[in-house]
Order: sequence, then C-alpha cells, then structure tokens
Amino acid sequence: MITLSDFLFLLQGVPVTLSISLLSFALGFIIGIPIAVVRQIAPLELTVVAEGYEKVMRGIPVLVFMLFLHFGLAGIVPIFKDSFISSVVALGLRSGAYQSQIFRGAINSVGRDQMRAAISLGMTRTQAFRHIILPQAFIVALPGLGSEIALLIKDSSYSFVLGVLDLTKYSDILRKATKSFIIPYLTAAILYILMTFPIANYLDRWGSRLKTKYGLR
Amino acid sequence: MSDILFILEFAGLILEGFIMTVIMTFLGLAGGFVLGVLSALGDVYGGKFLKIIINAYVEFFRGSPLIVQLLMFYFSIPILTGIKWDAFTAGAVTLMLNSGAYQKGYFKGAIEAVFKDQLLAAKSLGMTFKQTLMHIVLPQALRIVIPPWTNEYVSLGLSTSALIVIGLRELTNISKSIAAQTFRPLEVYLFTSIIYLVWITVSLKVLDYIYNRVRIPGLEVTSEI
Repeated sequence: MITLSDFLFLLQGVPVTLSISLLSFALGFIIGIPIAVVRQIAPLELTVVAEGYEKVMRGIPVLVFMLFLHFGLAGIVPIFKDSFISSVVALGLRSGAYQSQIFRGAINSVGRDQMRAAISLGMTRTQAFRHIILPQAFIVALPGLGSEIALLIKDSSYSFVLGVLDLTKYSDILRKATKSFIIPYLTAAILYILMTFPIANYLDRWGSRLKTKYGLR
Repeated sequence: MSDILFILEFAGLILEGFIMTVIMTFLGLAGGFVLGVLSALGDVYGGKFLKIIINAYVEFFRGSPLIVQLLMFYFSIPILTGIKWDAFTAGAVTLMLNSGAYQKGYFKGAIEAVFKDQLLAAKSLGMTFKQTLMHIVLPQALRIVIPPWTNEYVSLGLSTSALIVIGLRELTNISKSIAAQTFRPLEVYLFTSIIYLVWITVSLKVLDYIYNRVRIPGLEVTSEI
C-alpha cells in the first residue's frame, strides 16, 4: 500500500499535469476553429496551407516536436528555454490540428442546407457561420473534444522527458526515493485514469443531451 | 542552418534507430492485434465475469499514459516475478498490451457491424459457432476495421518515441544523443521529424490502397471510441 505522505507527495504533480493539458487544449481550440473554418470557406491557397499544417502535426511524434522546440528552437526563440512552455506549445499546436479535424467533421454534419437557408434570409456567409453553423457544430463536436482533452492529459506525460515536474515525474522521483518499483507508477496511472475518464465521459453525455434537446443528429 | 550535410555522418545510426522504431511498431501492432481480436470476441460473446476483466484491462491501458505504463512494467516485472528482461522485451510487451486495448474497441465495432441476421442464417445452415466466427464474422470484420485500424497504426508508430524513457535506442532517443553530441539540435530534430513524416505518409498511402482493394462496398463502420 501507499502511505499517505507518499500519496500527498504524488498529488503535487496533478496541478502541473492539469495545467499543461488545459492550457494546450485552449491553445488548440484557438488554432483549431479558424483552421476548420478556413478549410471550409477560404481560397484554395490558404486551404492548402491549413491542410499541410494538419498533415505535419499528425505525422510527427509530439515528443520530437517538444524536443525540437525546447532544445532546437530555444536558441532562436528564448521563451522555449522553459520546458513547461515548450510542452504546452507543442501539445497545443498538435491539438490545433486534431481539433480542426473535429470541428470540420462537426461543421459538415450541420450541413450546407442551413447555410443556404441563412444566406437566403439575407445573412452574410460570416454571419451564418457565426450565428447558425458554429453554435450547432460546437454541440456536435463535444464528444470529440472530450476525447481530445483525455488525450492531452495522457500525452502531457511526455513533458517528463523535458524534466517538467508533472505527475509522471513525481512518480519517478517517488520510485527512486522509496525503492518501491510498482506502487508509485500504479498510483500515478490510477490518478491519470481518474482525470481522463470523467472528463471524456462528461463531455460525451453533455453533447448527447444537447443534441437531443436541439434535435441534432 | 548551413552545412546540413553533417547529418550524413550519422546516417548509419539514424537508420538503426528508424529500424528499431519500425520493429517496435510492428511488434506492438501484431501483439495488439491478437489481444484486440480476442478481447473483442470475449466482450461481445463472453460471460459477465470475462467482460468485467476485459473492460478493466481496456480502461487501464487507454486511461493512463504509455510512458507511465512503460516505466511501471520495465521496473516492476523483474522485481515481482524474478524474470530478467531488457528494455526491448519490456517495451514490446507494453506496446502490445497498450495497442491491444485500443484495437479491442475497433474490432468490437467491426464485429458488431456484421449483421445479426447473418449469424442466424449461418446457424440455420448448421454451422457451429467457431465456423461462423472463422468463415462469416471475421472475414468481414477484418476488412471493415482497416480505416480505424489505420489510425491505431499512426498513433502507435508515433507513440514509440515514448520508449526513450526506458532507454531503448529508437529514432527519438538516437536523435537526442546525436543532437547532444553535435550541438545542432535544430537541424537534427528537423531531420528526424521529416523521417517520421515520410514514414507515416507512405504507410497511410499503402494502407489506403489495401483498403480500397479489399473493402466491401456499402459495409462501413463508425468505430466505437
């Protein structure tokens, strides 16, 4: 069994893990929506750029991206000397690509008919997007966003390699200090599950409830 | 950025790391395939107790980070069981268990997509359960599972970079040592990223080609996440 003091020691890592995950989720949200919209309505050149961004972000390991920012780009952009910031930015930029895909699927599912209807009522395309399409697309996207947060909580553990004092790092310190080889990691794993599972589940249910309420598919 | 050709001095090492990355990916996928199919079948057709065990296994491996799983198995198994194992074995086993948990969800969706009517039809023709499974359910399920399975290939392939925490000499780990040795991290990690990107892009094309050859028109599945 784990002692109370060891457990409290491990808990110190939880706020760091959560702040990396939530900040990178916010960054991904800010990037993801414009990219999704750009891929719907912008001219071809911009679409190609957005598509390239998504392909690159989905094709390289987020750990390599973190190392690139923290050790490589830090020479040019000093802010990346901070391992916490490098982790948040790497996870956030990748999450932007993932979230853009989630939103694109959601926007498509709301459908072109509503866009036509809004335009025929005298709305501009931008107004239609802002007031008709996006609010509905957001509801459809909720379950996907839930899985994305869960993914970020798990992948925030890569920041351990950069030396960030997150939950994984604390469990590793505890393993070295107590010479207990399974309890620290097992407890950390359970804490991760306790963080990922409720968030993903809650957003999934919230999404289904809103979908029923507004009669969305 | 000048003189990028210094990287060629390390071509042998990088190739070694890349091969290790590919080997680990394929081991993880193959082991995960077996575990995934078995636990999906257990979850669909098995008893209550079996279902509870399978779901606990899946929740554990899907809910916690691969890095923590790697550290846990690498350090604890030799202590608990007395088996001596190296980073390669520990890494391969953990990847298999992890991938199996994800693949189970995809296979379950695919197995359930094969219509119930077909099972009744097979029964009425006098086929045993095992025959139905081998000749009716799996041949269809294994085809429709390819698109979601492709995601797992990409995700596991990129996740192998986590093996750095147990010291396995795969592509990310080797790049890290080359970067430290040459003091040129920018170029080294850029080069590594390109290798991963090309590998993943080519793999996606190949899997897409295979799917289009074997797919059953009209029978598609939306995966259970």
